[in-house]
Amino acid sequence: MRLRVYAVAYLVFLYAPIALLPIFAFNDATIIAFPLSGFTTDWFSALATNTALHTAVKNSLFIAVMTAILSTLLGMCAARAGAMARFPMKAGIMGFIMLPLVLPEIIVAVSLLVVVVQIMGWGLSNWTIIAAHVLICTPFCIAILNGAFQNLDPSMEEAAMDLGESRFSAFRLVTLPLVAPGIVSSMLIAFTISLDEFIIAFFLSGASPTMPVYIWSMLRFPASLPVVMALGTILVALSIVLLTIAEILRRRGMARAGVKDKGGFL
Amino acid sequence: MTALITLKGVNKYYGDYHALRDIDLTINAGEFFSLLGPSGCGKTTLLRTIAGFEGVSDGVVTIGSKDMANVPANLRPTNMVFQSYAIFPHLSVGENVAFGLRKRSDLTRDAKAALVDEALAMVGLDGYGKRAAHALSGGQRQRVALARALILKPKVLLLDEPLSALDKKMREQMQVELIKLQRHVGITFILVTHDQEEALVMSDRIAVMFEGRIGQLDDPETLYRRPKSRKVAEFIGKMNFLPAEVRAVAETIDLDVAGLGQVSVSFEQAPEGMDTGPAVAGIRPETLAVLFEGETTDRMLVDGVVDEVVYYGDMTYYDVRIAGVDKPLNIAMKNLIGRPVLDVGARTQVVWDARSLVVLR
Repeated sequence: MRLRVYAVAYLVFLYAPIALLPIFAFNDATIIAFPLSGFTTDWFSALATNTALHTAVKNSLFIAVMTAILSTLLGMCAARAGAMARFPMKAGIMGFIMLPLVLPEIIVAVSLLVVVVQIMGWGLSNWTIIAAHVLICTPFCIAILNGAFQNLDPSMEEAAMDLGESRFSAFRLVTLPLVAPGIVSSMLIAFTISLDEFIIAFFLSGASPTMPVYIWSMLRFPASLPVVMALGTILVALSIVLLTIAEILRRRGMARAGVKDKGGFL
Repeated sequence: MTALITLKGVNKYYGDYHALRDIDLTINAGEFFSLLGPSGCGKTTLLRTIAGFEGVSDGVVTIGSKDMANVPANLRPTNMVFQSYAIFPHLSVGENVAFGLRKRSDLTRDAKAALVDEALAMVGLDGYGKRAAHALSGGQRQRVALARALILKPKVLLLDEPLSALDKKMREQMQVELIKLQRHVGITFILVTHDQEEALVMSDRIAVMFEGRIGQLDDPETLYRRPKSRKVAEFIGKMNFLPAEVRAVAETIDLDVAGLGQVSVSFEQAPEGMDTGPAVAGIRPETLAVLFEGETTDRMLVDGVVDEVVYYGDMTYYDVRIAGVDKPLNIAMKNLIGRPVLDVGARTQVVWDARSLVVLR
């Protein structure tokens, strides 16, 4: 009984703030406070006409998609090497590439700013943010993909090659389908981390900000708070849809591979 | 008999580790050949160099008189059954078996399906084509792996400890099936195993390997009856070893054997180049016997005392102490009708025959 109370309290603590988002997104008042004053969709219409926000969202989506693809690719290379190859100093190297996981982001952001602007003399753009996001996301991708590659029987690829396939087509026909659920999880994690990353984006964004940076700048004007709530509501809905799709894909992959479902990412 | 695979002076190093040492080997077409040895002896490495998964550091591998140095695994006329079977879990049984036919654009879809059905029938899995591969039992996975490798009609089928994951009954059944299959398809089989019984049962010839070298290469009977070294004799079957001293090597080899006295043996019973000096005499437990009351024999007898009795149902194993030898002799007796089981401490006589002795260094 006490455990049940605890569980309910925990869930309320986790989700109540998020539940407030849609409530105030549809509330007809600029001040975020109870009692609610009426229903409106004005804030959503305001979103639709805010072109600066559109640019910011586009920037963020582009950065997040590129980050997801690049860091998952790098993660696959590292995880495959970690699981299948033997080379000197392997444990040390594998540990070293996981290090960005614990580096404070502000340190990464400042040092990258120095490198990009002062030393290399490049301008800031979406690509500088992508580079930095790949840096912080790759360790997460490696961690997720490691699981997928460790479970893989190393004889699988050899068997495919033995049956006449080249090294690459053996990878494509056998390894790739078997690690696909891991790839989906990895891309999803990288996408999510990149999409709402603030500190690095704040330091490294060029002329046009990313979505989190733009939201932060909007907060200076109390009148725009409900618009932020509306944006938040859309993002939450989007995350739920995205996670559901990923979980369906993962389960389908597990069933196809005949692996016993150990409860994945969700 | 025509040579199909030859290895000349093959060496393989992993860094400082010398995995294969000066391997010279010829494997004939249509032969059931086994590589037998304890784990880490290099037998799997040798198989993988034939398959093309490992290069050689030194030496030449030829298959069908073609040098394999620059031929990758996917272009060699070999197919492999892996220890883990490596059945692709995301494909059905039929798709697994048909995997090797992907590159065969000369075959129609129907022709491929017919080949798959034929291959499945050959391993006794008729009608399993539509099943999910991950839902199969160990023995069935083994059969799928066989069908998948044999559908390509390779010149050589390589089997890497294919029966080690099966339980005893299943293993014995598959041994017989593999022998039948090999005779049926006529393809050269190369089996890697650490199980000496499995190698004896299945092979035409066996290469026993120790520490990267081939210790002895012979047919199963010669290997069992006439081991050329103590290592081979110890690894294959059980053997009693008695200290001995070779006195003379002339028309026969004359030696003094502890506990048995003066013995003369033929040259076949010793490795080549046997000379006078200290040696060991080896004798298998089933070539010895205890003499039961009322039985007579015209063979040699030596007095002994029963030290230990292990009853196996069909067999009884006795340890019998004889004068002049520290270790008791291990003797295997069939439990024939009317034969009693002796008690520990019983006085008995051990029957032996010089013809079953081997003299080893």
